[in-house]
Amino acid sequence: MRNIFPRWSNTVPLKLIVGLGMVGSVLVAGITYYATPKYTRVGYQPTQPVSYNHEFHAGELGIDCRYCHTGVDKSSHANIPGANVCMSCHQNVKSDSALLEPVRDSYYGEDANKDGKLSEGEDLNGDGILNAGPAIPWVRIHKAPDYVYFNHAIHVNRGISCVECHGRVDQMVEVHHDKHLSMAFCLDCHRNPEKALRPLDEVTNLSWEADLSDHSDPLIAQVHAGLELKENWGVNPPLSCTGCHR
Amino acid sequence: MIMQNNQPELPSGKDYWKSLDSLADTDGFKEWVSREFPEGASMLDGVQRRSFVKLMAASFGLAGLGMTGCRRPEQVILPYGKSPEELIPGVPAYYATSQPTSRGFQPLIVESHQGRPTKVEGNPSYLPNGGSTDVYSQASVLDLYDPDRAQGSFARETLKNGVNRWKKVSTDSVLDILDDEVSEGKVAVLVNRSHSLVRQSLQKKIASSGIQWFEHDAIDYTSAENKLGKALGLKKGLRAVPNLSTAKRVLSLDCDFLGNRESNELSNTRAFMSGRKVLNSADARKMNRLYIAESDLSRTGGVADHRLRVESSQMIGFASLVASELLSKIGHSDQSLKKHLKNLSSSTNSQKEWASEAVADLLSNPKKSVVLAGSHLPAEVQLLAYEMNRLLGSIGSTINYIEVGASADSILSLASKINNGSIERLFILGGNPVYQTKGFINWEDLSKKLKFAVRLGGSIDESSQIANYHLGQSHYLESWDLGTTWDQSFFVPVQPLIAPLFDTVSEASFLSHLVGEKNDDHGLVKNIHSEYSNGGDFEDFLRLGVLATKPVSFNSLDATKALLSIKPVEIKSSKLTEDNLEVVIIPDFHAHDGQYANNGWMQECPDPISKLTWDNALLISPVLANILESKHPGLGLLPKPTMLNKNGQIAPDAAQFDGGKQKAPIVTVNVGGKSITAPLYVQPGLADFSIIATIGYGRSHVGRVGRGTGYDVTPLLSGESLVLTGASLQPTGDFKILANVQEHWSMEGRAIVREANAEEYISDPGFASHMGAESHSPPMWGKDQNKSLQEKATTTPRGNSAYEHPDHTYEKSDVFGIHQWGMTIDLNQCTGCSACVVACQSENNIPVVGKDQVLRGREMHWIRLDRYFSSTARDGAEIPSDVQVSFQGVACMHCETAPCESVCPVNATVHDEEGLNAMAYNRCVGTRYCANNCPYKVRRFNFFDWNKRKTDELYQGPLGDKNDSSVDMGKNPDVTVRMRGVMEKCTYCVQRIQESKIRTKVNAQQKAKFESGKDGSGIQLSTQDLKVPDGTIKTACQQVCPSDAIVFGDISDPRSEVSKLKNNPRDYSVLGYLNTRPRTTFLAKVRNPNPKMPDFASSPHSAREYHDKAHPSHHGDEHGAH
Repeated sequence: MRNIFPRWSNTVPLKLIVGLGMVGSVLVAGITYYATPKYTRVGYQPTQPVSYNHEFHAGELGIDCRYCHTGVDKSSHANIPGANVCMSCHQNVKSDSALLEPVRDSYYGEDANKDGKLSEGEDLNGDGILNAGPAIPWVRIHKAPDYVYFNHAIHVNRGISCVECHGRVDQMVEVHHDKHLSMAFCLDCHRNPEKALRPLDEVTNLSWEADLSDHSDPLIAQVHAGLELKENWGVNPPLSCTGCHR
Repeated sequence: MIMQNNQPELPSGKDYWKSLDSLADTDGFKEWVSREFPEGASMLDGVQRRSFVKLMAASFGLAGLGMTGCRRPEQVILPYGKSPEELIPGVPAYYATSQPTSRGFQPLIVESHQGRPTKVEGNPSYLPNGGSTDVYSQASVLDLYDPDRAQGSFARETLKNGVNRWKKVSTDSVLDILDDEVSEGKVAVLVNRSHSLVRQSLQKKIASSGIQWFEHDAIDYTSAENKLGKALGLKKGLRAVPNLSTAKRVLSLDCDFLGNRESNELSNTRAFMSGRKVLNSADARKMNRLYIAESDLSRTGGVADHRLRVESSQMIGFASLVASELLSKIGHSDQSLKKHLKNLSSSTNSQKEWASEAVADLLSNPKKSVVLAGSHLPAEVQLLAYEMNRLLGSIGSTINYIEVGASADSILSLASKINNGSIERLFILGGNPVYQTKGFINWEDLSKKLKFAVRLGGSIDESSQIANYHLGQSHYLESWDLGTTWDQSFFVPVQPLIAPLFDTVSEASFLSHLVGEKNDDHGLVKNIHSEYSNGGDFEDFLRLGVLATKPVSFNSLDATKALLSIKPVEIKSSKLTEDNLEVVIIPDFHAHDGQYANNGWMQECPDPISKLTWDNALLISPVLANILESKHPGLGLLPKPTMLNKNGQIAPDAAQFDGGKQKAPIVTVNVGGKSITAPLYVQPGLADFSIIATIGYGRSHVGRVGRGTGYDVTPLLSGESLVLTGASLQPTGDFKILANVQEHWSMEGRAIVREANAEEYISDPGFASHMGAESHSPPMWGKDQNKSLQEKATTTPRGNSAYEHPDHTYEKSDVFGIHQWGMTIDLNQCTGCSACVVACQSENNIPVVGKDQVLRGREMHWIRLDRYFSSTARDGAEIPSDVQVSFQGVACMHCETAPCESVCPVNATVHDEEGLNAMAYNRCVGTRYCANNCPYKVRRFNFFDWNKRKTDELYQGPLGDKNDSSVDMGKNPDVTVRMRGVMEKCTYCVQRIQESKIRTKVNAQQKAKFESGKDGSGIQLSTQDLKVPDGTIKTACQQVCPSDAIVFGDISDPRSEVSKLKNNPRDYSVLGYLNTRPRTTFLAKVRNPNPKMPDFASSPHSAREYHDKAHPSHHGDEHGAH
């Protein structure tokens, strides 16, 4: 009755512990890497119905972000522009481009002869109004969860640049998700807003950097500039749940 | 001090009782109140364990399938092709409009999110209402998204078995058919009463085109004015519009002027309650006083200082008594009138002293007293009230009489004309006349005589069943109209916020079509406006939402002659007994006249007095209940105290229970050959031989919400008075369970609502702080007791507590709040109107749970209105007949040392730096510890996906059908829609707070940038610049309150309104001795009784009871014994 368990079984507990430990570590590491916003969100780059080029429009041409995203300093949403905004230029520029077909469809709608007036045979659904066409189905890239109430207006008006959350959109041909925008990302900035604060007229200047002057490190220069703004403006971002969750 | 602290208040005291059961101290009730959640709330019944396991297995299976969808779902953003001007996505727009009701047009401001109306508020430009709304306007937005609306127009097909089927047709095609039919002649229009000027102008054209016009409303708010005009021999109606802001003494004769039985509820409440605002002893001396004689216990009766129970059918006698007392006191010369009135009031001797003293009090305030008569009372009482007001000199000061048009022909003459063949085509617009009149009009026969009928209505209802076509009527938020307020002092527009969701037509367009004009309703409104505005700008009118006008006032007329014509024989009705009862039919709180029967918010909002939800009941007095009980043992109307008999056995409880709920016996009521069956409910405060029945329930053709709810009182109606006599009751032996929230959330035996008489308040303004257990214990704040409110709010001093409290001072904390939010609720201002309950529901996306779940105590209202009764003398289980009523709104108190926070295992409920008790839904795992530890019982748990699933399929979990998505359109996008398994509660409307803070900061920064003209780096913004100005943020409950009982603001600012009120000596904390330090505090109630009255008590009943229990030794042994 001495040898119920064979000799090799002596090492089983140790192997088990090591094995379970390894499996556990791999699981933890896997979840931390694959199941967090850093992996699931960053780099998301869907194909858009209209191949709008941000690098060209915002970077090369230097059109301000707010020319199209008009609500960004007034509303919680930074709205996607209506087709009328595109057409304010493209009625004259590249007005026949095939790439702009969906934009023209959306803008003119029932207005077949494109004269802006209701003409004979244009009122297809018979409601007496010149209806716009189908909306352009832009694919959403940045999305806060439903229980998060992010407000663009307060950030943009208080010296937080677009670049802090959206990256260098002016260098993206096609926009992708640049920052992970997890709760930790939000809180990092809310705890230390000086790392991001900048003068109000530089908010949409995505390439702006704090004046180095007598600092060697750009980060130190930013923090110095940011601390001054924070003090002057009384910036005190909320750190409690009610700031974002309602 | 320490010795005293060893004897905290014992809950054995019954200084307040909320229900018959709790009064009776039954064992079941004691066990019931000892549970954290009321009966059934935390039990999973209705599902067998086996089927539960099966369901779970199935749902796990589904979850596995769902895992394949781990990838991010693709969402699209759809911008406009041509963006509308002034529309910024994410910023709500507000439009001035109004709700057309039978009580006048209610001026409103409606919030719209990207074109979807979501929330209704009062229009502050209409000063008499001060921006408040009633409960019905609040709930009306839900009707817009009701999936049971008529979603277009329908043609009726009757199957062989007599069942009607509805086939969808286009509205235009019905209108075309209608043109042909109108040209055939013999056409009539039947409408509900309205105050629309568009309708008025079209009505003239319709009359000239030979179409006959009839009006009907089950609850006719204009009946009083027509009766009075007729009695005075005028050809017009005479509408009484009280001006209660100047009234010092009010005598109400069965007139519920603060409730839904009368018009002008909001402005009356606002004006009358402003005379009861007591901030110092000078206010208390000026306080107004209300006498009421009524049969039902109305909300107005709840506010009254002196209340006399008089059956409605005896009101002529009582009014004559009051009038004769008045005549003799002022030394009126007309002896014949005096004698006549004495004769009329001969049967009311027992009420003489009450009436005499009340009249003396009215007379002591010349021109500042007023007599009001209920609109359901006969012409005689209207006339007596008018004459008394004239003699008191009130006309022109506290009451105005304005001339209004005479009423249209009644539905009875329509019925006779159909019968004799002079009308063959009928258009029924609005209302629901077939349901409301089936007690006295045989519609089945009439419909056979009609050749063609069209119904224009919001939903397919009883009146649609006799029509060939049902035309879908646009909701008022989808249509144009223009009308007047009840007092006729303002024109208000009805402006659509959204194009009709379905193929529907507005009433104005329909009427215009009838006369062959085919104008759209927008053009009609524009024309009417230019007619009445003397060339005023239409756009301005729409922006402001009101246009002042002048009603035609009436110069007073001596009514002596008319009074003398009242014949004593008519009114000397036989004495009421248990075999000769009276039935008083009143509008239902939930369904009104049936209009809101399919509105879930209204169905679930508890009746302020009876606290019933989802049902109506016949209310009877305790006296009548005792008589019935003795005649029919086993009825179980009155629970008896459970006590041991001589043999040591527990005596059986007389009341009938099922699952912990008292069952209501169903009875048959017979009146003049007509009968209905309905459940009985005993209501203290009722006149002995009155049965109160409500109209609006028991609808046969109604949407899914209203189906099967309540009983139908309409078979009893006769088309004349709503007060019927000669009724008798006969039990059927059946029982019904009523979903009553009355016993829920009981706070037994403590000084919860604190009250004093005005005299007591003047001699001791701090009376509230001398009540409750905290008055016996060392001060809550210990050594910090004398610190200011602001210091206490920002530093949260430890007092003598062993626990550390967070320190939110600017210097000591890197996380500091520049505001500290707080609220006061003035119990003296609350009339119990319940508008706050529905406003909160609308603002905060609070779901409707259904009757079954209410019975389990799972209703979700974030603010509830507790109603307490107290009485003079009570003896064991005897239910008192005369009670005083106190209301108390209770929502999350946002305790500074919140008991819920310390027990949450996942930190889902924590404090924020501005003193809000935050609730992070996405963190909550649903342990419900917080609700267990909340002494105020204000936390609500999502036992099911109320918002996502149909109420009848909740138990099927993920397998149940989803709710109709149309309801989701009305949700507030600024508030999370909570899912199953999370706790929720009042947030002080955190979404409004955050929006205001953001707006203030953005504005301050933009203004500074604009002024400095630079890049902004040198701008200096102080804390003061970033603070939200006082009064900017209004919580949903505050905004809706007609009497401004609720005040919210920053208590760290000593100049804010809320700080001032919190420093008032009347301010107290509920359960303050628990050291929860609630941010919501209450201002104690002050009553103003007349010492000369026979029913005078030197203290409010509740205060006396409290003192009897708290200090038994002061009052001798007989009180201390129990």
